[in-house]
Amino acid sequence: MTKRGTRRFFLGGTLACTVLFVGMTIDSHRQFGRLTHADQITPAVIQGKHVWHRKDCINCHTLLGEGAYYAPDLTKITEHRGTAYLQAFLKDPSKFYTEARDRRLMPNPKLTDAEIDEVIAFLGWVSKIDNQGWPPRPILVSGAAIPGTNVGAPAPHAASNEPSEQGEALFRTSPPGCFSCHSVSPGVNLAGPSLADIGERAGTRVKSPDYHGQATDAAGYIRESILHPSAYLVPGATYSAGGRSFMPDNFGTLLKAEQVDQLVAYLRTLQNSQ
Amino acid sequence: MRYRSQAVAYPYFAVALLLFGLQVAFGLLAAAKYLGPDPLLNVLPFDRVKEIHTNLLIVWVLTGFMGASYYLVPEESGAELWSPKLAYIALVVWVLMGLTAVIGYAFGWTEGNKLLEQPFPLKLVIVAVMLMFLANLLLTIRRAGRWTTTEAVLVAGLIFTALLYLPALLTFDNYTVSIFYRWWTVHLWVEGVWEMIQGALLAYLLIRLSGVDREVLEKWLYVIVGLTFISGIIGTAHHYYWVGVPQYWLPIGGFFSALEPLVFLGMAMYAYYAMRRSGLRHPNQLAIHWTIGSAVFSALGAGLLGLAHTWPAVNRWTHGTLITPMHGHAAFFGAYVMIVLAMITYALPGLTGRDETRLEGPVGIWAFWLMVGGMFGMTMAFATAGIAQTYLERIIGLGFLETQHKIQVHFLMLLATGLLFALGVALFLWDFFLGRGRPLPVPATEPRLAETAT
Ligand code: HEC
Ligand code: HEC
Ligand code: HEM
Ligand SMILES: [Fe+2]
Repeated sequence: MTKRGTRRFFLGGTLACTVLFVGMTIDSHRQFGRLTHADQITPAVIQGKHVWHRKDCINCHTLLGEGAYYAPDLTKITEHRGTAYLQAFLKDPSKFYTEARDRRLMPNPKLTDAEIDEVIAFLGWVSKIDNQGWPPRPILVSGAAIPGTNVGAPAPHAASNEPSEQGEALFRTSPPGCFSCHSVSPGVNLAGPSLADIGERAGTRVKSPDYHGQATDAAGYIRESILHPSAYLVPGATYSAGGRSFMPDNFGTLLKAEQVDQLVAYLRTLQNSQ
Repeated sequence: MRYRSQAVAYPYFAVALLLFGLQVAFGLLAAAKYLGPDPLLNVLPFDRVKEIHTNLLIVWVLTGFMGASYYLVPEESGAELWSPKLAYIALVVWVLMGLTAVIGYAFGWTEGNKLLEQPFPLKLVIVAVMLMFLANLLLTIRRAGRWTTTEAVLVAGLIFTALLYLPALLTFDNYTVSIFYRWWTVHLWVEGVWEMIQGALLAYLLIRLSGVDREVLEKWLYVIVGLTFISGIIGTAHHYYWVGVPQYWLPIGGFFSALEPLVFLGMAMYAYYAMRRSGLRHPNQLAIHWTIGSAVFSALGAGLLGLAHTWPAVNRWTHGTLITPMHGHAAFFGAYVMIVLAMITYALPGLTGRDETRLEGPVGIWAFWLMVGGMFGMTMAFATAGIAQTYLERIIGLGFLETQHKIQVHFLMLLATGLLFALGVALFLWDFFLGRGRPLPVPATEPRLAETAT
């Protein structure tokens, strides 16, 4: 090939690829609205995006897998943690994590209440972007060490139509993301208490004097815990504040009635003597 | 050095190297924070250290490109620089911008958009300096009335660098769209127009160091640059896979970005060809080390390690893990750090009035091997950490914090190899500022006066 020939290769190839690239860009703009639910970009979401940038969250965290690798990915965080939890966490991360235990601690971002709500709105919008199903399996902020816990077990497919099996699969699916706050191993407390023996604990709890909820039996207690988390508060500073549980209170609308039944059926099988 | 105004390159190189030293210091600090606990948590948290680290990298590499261009363009065009004074003014503005940015970041003045954190007023200053720089080069070429292919590729790369910075000035309410255009700057720089710059500097150095036929090298330069754009433009899509774009970007982006390593293979072959033809007997062995080193290390860091995670089916699992900095470090070092250091070591004897045919001392060679060895070790540390993280966090499903705890040993290795690297940098700086790089009081060779200066 001559120098003229190679120059032609360079110019022609570059031109062709630029045309294709620009074409795909234009087409993407036609689809962005639908893929990102652009109609849900409210003023709060936009403000939240500014908070995200201004406070430099991106240089510790990844979002949509982009950013820095010092802190957990937050793409689906609002699926794993409810608003109440996130509000409390963002007010003071050191209430939930310590350098001594977790090695890393998020410095207090010093946000106003309004900024906190905005950044949560922004993260909520991000979690719904249609991004080819990434991450392929949930990324947890914190989960117990492997042996004995089911935190890591994949399989959001139920082995049978048995309600308790269906419930177990649902428990490990995101949303609702129960597994990101609850382990089913004894003593392994994450953002929520371990549910290792909840089937048993529920029965004794409804009979204890400090229980003032509506339930009268174990199944009723578990159902109430899912639908109205604040009806009874498990003691613990990182579980609730001001009489309000950090567990999301929208499972009543997020889940179908039969799905709640399945979760109850599954959790009832969790007994101490396993 | 054939033209007096090439001396403008010297202060640019000096500034570049000082910022390089600072960049590495902040890098070590960041690695220490990975190990934790962090005594500076509330004074200088990780995010600020990290953005100072990456911004210093970009600024000093650009400073190095500018210095290299001020050295190369007069020589290739055969004319004095249009205005050395403008070049000095631009440097002062540039340094002030850089220092303001670093101090601002330390106190939280940031736009918090990865790699493009520069607050808007500083972005405008960056554009202004680039315009001063480009005007100076273009007016030099116009006055000389001639240019070479190597030079044209270099200058075109610089012009597009400036143009592609413009999307960084825009903001979008839709996060996906803002990510989309962020990569027009970041990806199309490092895997597009900067490769043009690297290719051109490589061609220039190989021509000078090996005396190989210019026509042949420049012919292949077109092939290298052609491959760069054929693979690299659509290759932008390897950053689009999971951010909310239409599905077709995945297969198309995977295919084209998998072709990108050909560019680096081409550059390595280029260097091999030159070496075979003439044996590289040039007395400036240090420049030869850095030149060949750049061709080889970029094939590893950018080519091979880029390829390792560019396919969507792989990237799905590695995206957002320490696999990314594994590749980012090795690629930036091999392609851009090494080529700038090659230009510096090549130009230095002339710039300081030393005899260009004298052999080198050992300090520079030590600096070379410490940096290469250190960076190789760091790449391995990131790779082992990233593989373990991908497995534990992404596949097994262990929590992020627990995973980071389990891979601590790799962060120790990162810190240790990072210290080796920093030692190499320290030696290079020592050599530049206190050793062979110190200008001699009286130039040994009288620079020739420009024939076209009027
Ligand atoms: C200096 C680094 C750093 C910065 C900056 C930072 N974070 Fe964090 N973040 C962390 C770390 C580390 C964790 C993991 C929990 C811990 O150890 O504190 C975390 C955890 C989180 C969590 C998950 C908490 C949980 O238990 O689920 C959320 C949500 C979060 N950060 C939001 C933000 C937001 C929003 C910003 C910006 C306003 C931000 N972070 C800025 C380091 C950072
Ligand atoms: C954001 C974290 C979070 C998520 C997600 C979450 N929980 Fe909880 N959960 C908590 C916290 C905190 C508590 C303890 C405070 C309280 O009593 O409400 C709790 C309490 C419970 C209890 C009562 C435990 C006891 O000892 O009495 C049950 C049962 C329970 N959760 C089930 C679920 C199920 C089922 C899901 C998924 C549908 C779920 N949780 C999702 C945080 C969470
Ligand atoms: C000199 C050339 C190159 C440099 C300097 C470079 C640098 C970088 C940097 C800094 C990142 C991280 C960016 C961020 O997250 O903000 C990155 C990401 C990436 N690079 Fe490169 N790169 C180069 C060449 C290549 C090549 C040739 C390939 C493919 C063959 C490649 C594939 C990738 C991929 C797939 C990612 C995204 C990782 C992820 O986020 O999942 N790179 N590169
Ligand atoms: Fe890229």
